[in-house]
Amino acid sequence: MKPIITDQQRQFRLKSAPEYSQASFAWIVSIALSLLLLLGGYRSETGDFSPVLLTLSGAYLVFALLQLAVWARIRLDLIRDGSIRGGTRVLGYGLMLSLLSGNVFIATAAFQLVRAKKNAAYTLAVYTLLTTLLVFAVSALNLYKPYVANSFLTGMALLLVAAVIQLGALLFLAKVADRSVLPRSTAIIAVILILTALTGNVFALLLGLLLIARLRDGGGSAGSKTGQVIDRLSRSSTSMLGLLFILFLFALSVTSYWTFDYSLAIENNYSAILQPPSLAYPLGTDNFGRDLFSRIVFGARISLIVGLLSTIIPVVIGGLLGALSGYYGRHTDNIIMRALDILYAIPGILLAIAIIAAFGASTVNLVIALSVGAIPTYARTMRANVMLVSTLEYVQAARAIGSSDWVILTKHVVPNSLAPMIVKSSLTIGTAVISTSSLSYLGLGVEPHIPEWGNILKLGSAYLETHAYTAIYPGIAIIALVLAFNFLGDGLRDAMDPKLD
Amino acid sequence: MNKKGKFAALLLISLTMVLSGCKVTTKNEAAEAPANTSNTANTQQTETADDGSLVDIELLGMSSGEADLNIIRDQLTKNGFNVKLNIQADYGSFKSQQDAGNFDIALSSWTTVTGNPDYAVRSLFKTGGDYSILADSEIDKLIDTASTQTPEQYVDTYKQFEQQLVFDKAYIVPLYNSLKAQALNQDVLKQESVRLSKSRSLVWEDIDFKDESKRATDSLVLQSTMPTLTSLDPIKGNDGSINMINTNMYVRLLNLTDDDKLTADGSLSYNFAIDGSNSEYYFVLRDDINFAQIKDKKAVDTRQRVGAEDVIFSLNRAKDKNSVPDHRTFTLHEHIKTVEAVTDLAALESAKLASGETVKTALEAGLENKITGLTADKTKADHKSGNYQVIKLTTTEPFPQVLNYLAHQSAGIVSKKQVESINTYDVAKFDVNKDIPYGDQNTVTEGAQYNNTLFASGPYILSYKNDYEAIFYKNPGYLKGTDHEPKIENIKIRFIKDADSALAALRSGEIHVYYGVTETKFDVVKGDSKLSLQTMPSNGVSYLLFNTKNRPVAESADLRKAVLYSINQDEILAYYNGNKIKAVSTVSPLVQTGLELKSDPAKAKEFLAAYKAAK
Repeated sequence: MKPIITDQQRQFRLKSAPEYSQASFAWIVSIALSLLLLLGGYRSETGDFSPVLLTLSGAYLVFALLQLAVWARIRLDLIRDGSIRGGTRVLGYGLMLSLLSGNVFIATAAFQLVRAKKNAAYTLAVYTLLTTLLVFAVSALNLYKPYVANSFLTGMALLLVAAVIQLGALLFLAKVADRSVLPRSTAIIAVILILTALTGNVFALLLGLLLIARLRDGGGSAGSKTGQVIDRLSRSSTSMLGLLFILFLFALSVTSYWTFDYSLAIENNYSAILQPPSLAYPLGTDNFGRDLFSRIVFGARISLIVGLLSTIIPVVIGGLLGALSGYYGRHTDNIIMRALDILYAIPGILLAIAIIAAFGASTVNLVIALSVGAIPTYARTMRANVMLVSTLEYVQAARAIGSSDWVILTKHVVPNSLAPMIVKSSLTIGTAVISTSSLSYLGLGVEPHIPEWGNILKLGSAYLETHAYTAIYPGIAIIALVLAFNFLGDGLRDAMDPKLD
Repeated sequence: MNKKGKFAALLLISLTMVLSGCKVTTKNEAAEAPANTSNTANTQQTETADDGSLVDIELLGMSSGEADLNIIRDQLTKNGFNVKLNIQADYGSFKSQQDAGNFDIALSSWTTVTGNPDYAVRSLFKTGGDYSILADSEIDKLIDTASTQTPEQYVDTYKQFEQQLVFDKAYIVPLYNSLKAQALNQDVLKQESVRLSKSRSLVWEDIDFKDESKRATDSLVLQSTMPTLTSLDPIKGNDGSINMINTNMYVRLLNLTDDDKLTADGSLSYNFAIDGSNSEYYFVLRDDINFAQIKDKKAVDTRQRVGAEDVIFSLNRAKDKNSVPDHRTFTLHEHIKTVEAVTDLAALESAKLASGETVKTALEAGLENKITGLTADKTKADHKSGNYQVIKLTTTEPFPQVLNYLAHQSAGIVSKKQVESINTYDVAKFDVNKDIPYGDQNTVTEGAQYNNTLFASGPYILSYKNDYEAIFYKNPGYLKGTDHEPKIENIKIRFIKDADSALAALRSGEIHVYYGVTETKFDVVKGDSKLSLQTMPSNGVSYLLFNTKNRPVAESADLRKAVLYSINQDEILAYYNGNKIKAVSTVSPLVQTGLELKSDPAKAKEFLAAYKAAK
């Protein structure tokens, strides 16, 4: 007998299970990627397809179709029972194999699918392992080069050890994470995980800290606030993928000190000019015979550092000024804000260009130039938050018991005004990355031979018609990083929304 | 825990087995066995660390030469230098950095627009030359010796010069000789009518549309990068903004062929002759060129002929530093001693060529009517009755290459009457804000100051310009009825600064000819069926110039030679896909001396070590 449910009920059931939306996202993106790979593999001069890309495209298509089938089953389960059946969840283990083709979309959906009950620790453990595996796989591409960096083997071994430890942690957490009180041995695992974070894997660091926090919490029912944020964040696949991409790049930037050879990115090789993508040069070579793959990997370092620094500096300075002017008001407010208004009147990118023109092009100047222009917007955001929070009862209570201004500001006002700042900064890091690349593109950033995405794109743009890959790959890298920060910012905004508390 | 320990041990063992199974060549291993790798460059880098210290060197250049700078930086880095780049955005800031001495080596380039070797060395390397920072008496002596010699004789002198300049003293490091490249729209233009010459600028009067009926209705559209024109007075400028314009607005006594031979073809003279002493030069003038002027923005024939008095006036002001304020080209003409009109027929008969032939017979070669009379009055000259005007030019010393300078745009013939009536100011007290000299670009720019007073002796005349384009009209009194009569009525120069935009404009049909296609875009042009690419070796040479003051490179020849032998021209050629030519000095495109710079990392290391030891 078929139970009769209304359309509204059906919609509700589908929406209640995050696995459903994750599965649909995964198969749609996979099909799109499969088509993209197919298109990218087409060689117009010979009229056939590049075998490597064709195979990859096929693998993506196969997994996309499998995912589609699983999606359909999830849908059926949800409509019929309102929950996903165990048999459907088991299929997730099969889908994990998609990781072999580098398809993180299906893999993350699969890791979520196999668990009926999710929690922040499990999700983080999955992403920790995924990051290390991705970094390992990307670094392993260096094996096809004529030679590798001297510390390549050490670096790869360390990565492998980290991956094994993280896999162990994942299995362990899958078993125990749902318990309200974690076993004592978790502390050791947490410390080891934090050690593996030395490979640049911030997920591991977060996971370790989360576990320690939970242990110290002693099974308090509410769970830590960070845990809640991570919980909410992990429900949105787009923002987790954004975070994954950012932290993957970060980890790659750190491990590239061991696993990548800088000379391949910076020394000209006149016998390998403008080579199309191959195994030795996965993204081809540029007009000086430098490996684009290595250049983009090393470029991530500069883009990330400049992007992060030129966001953190204005957050700190602007936040401080905004907090002071919002808390003290009247003359303090007037003086600080009017001074910042003057700065605000100058367009940021013009100010940056002027600063670099005056002091010369270097990474430090670039960071300063991009930071100064962003101070006023952060000050305004912080000021508005502080003004709002200052009127709340707990602040007045603190005043009433005679706390000093400094204590009230640092203990009560600022911590409760930070959420919008974090969201805003995660959204503007993307802009900072674009600005860095734009300035380099204009020849105002770092020196032209230094691998920086804007520089790489600038060189490539001259070959857009004849050797398009020299411009497309750095372009994709910039787009992906900015998109990742935007996704993360969106997710953070939702996760930190005080209305959800 | 015990179980976990076993598991970990098992993993560790399998891990070491997997790792020992892989055979991976690390960078150091690759460097130890250079035979296994084609990339020899990397091996050099690890070897240079003889005493570990890198030598600092500052490289100055413009952002337009970024590719060259990167190659040089790379090659120097691989040979034990620590290169500091100083990249300036434009020529102005580059020049001011250079003048301030803020460099060890400067990426420089030179184009010999006159097509003679003396011009390629005199102002660059002679003590006190316009652009020279050298002071070496031996180099000076060789330059002076070569200038008085004939082409056969000077090959050896220039060889000695190159040996001194590059190999013995290493004042410059030659990089390459460029190709001249020009792309045109062959759907619109007759391909063979668009000439590409080694030294001479584009010849406008020859260019023709495929569809000849469009000559009167359509404009030929060319491109230039600079909307600010230095001056339309030919002697007041010698740069990219006006070279092509002034070459086509003023006729000269001589022209250069596409491969830099001297010819009277398409010039003001029917013929020319050199007397046996190599210091007297004769020209018999045409009488069928009139000056054109602009009235109501259209070109009209002034009915004033271009004659001997204009030639004498033009060349005398060209060589005289004080004839105009801000004279930019007098050094090119400093060898001219006198210019005069010959009125005595007997003088032509008594003057003899080196071959013994009289100057008169040499000048008459190919003339319809023999020279029966000479006149000083340009209105009386008439080739049909045998009444000609002849110019005699003498040089301060025997100097056959003077003829090349006469073919340069700065030797263009202006109207004596018109220029004298405009330039009424006192040169010594010239006031930029009050006095308006002949050829001032503001007088042809649309707006309140527009007052076109140009008198053009060449095939075209500039009517007006703005920041977007310049409009030219055909000179109605220029060689009418001859092969050299301008074919297209109206020419536009579109000012497009960016090279990529200019190429896009060519491909979209917005412009018809684009001069200066970069090597990296050759494939794009070749791939477009409506475009045709013309290339030929140019007289342009790129080189590195060493600072001669207050820097280690100024004192130490060893250091300079270490740089010299670090540079690998083969790699530069590889970068440009073979679209560059090896060079030894700025005379390389003009004189084949047989010398060649071969990169030698071992020598570079040796010289660098010698420099370090001396320090």
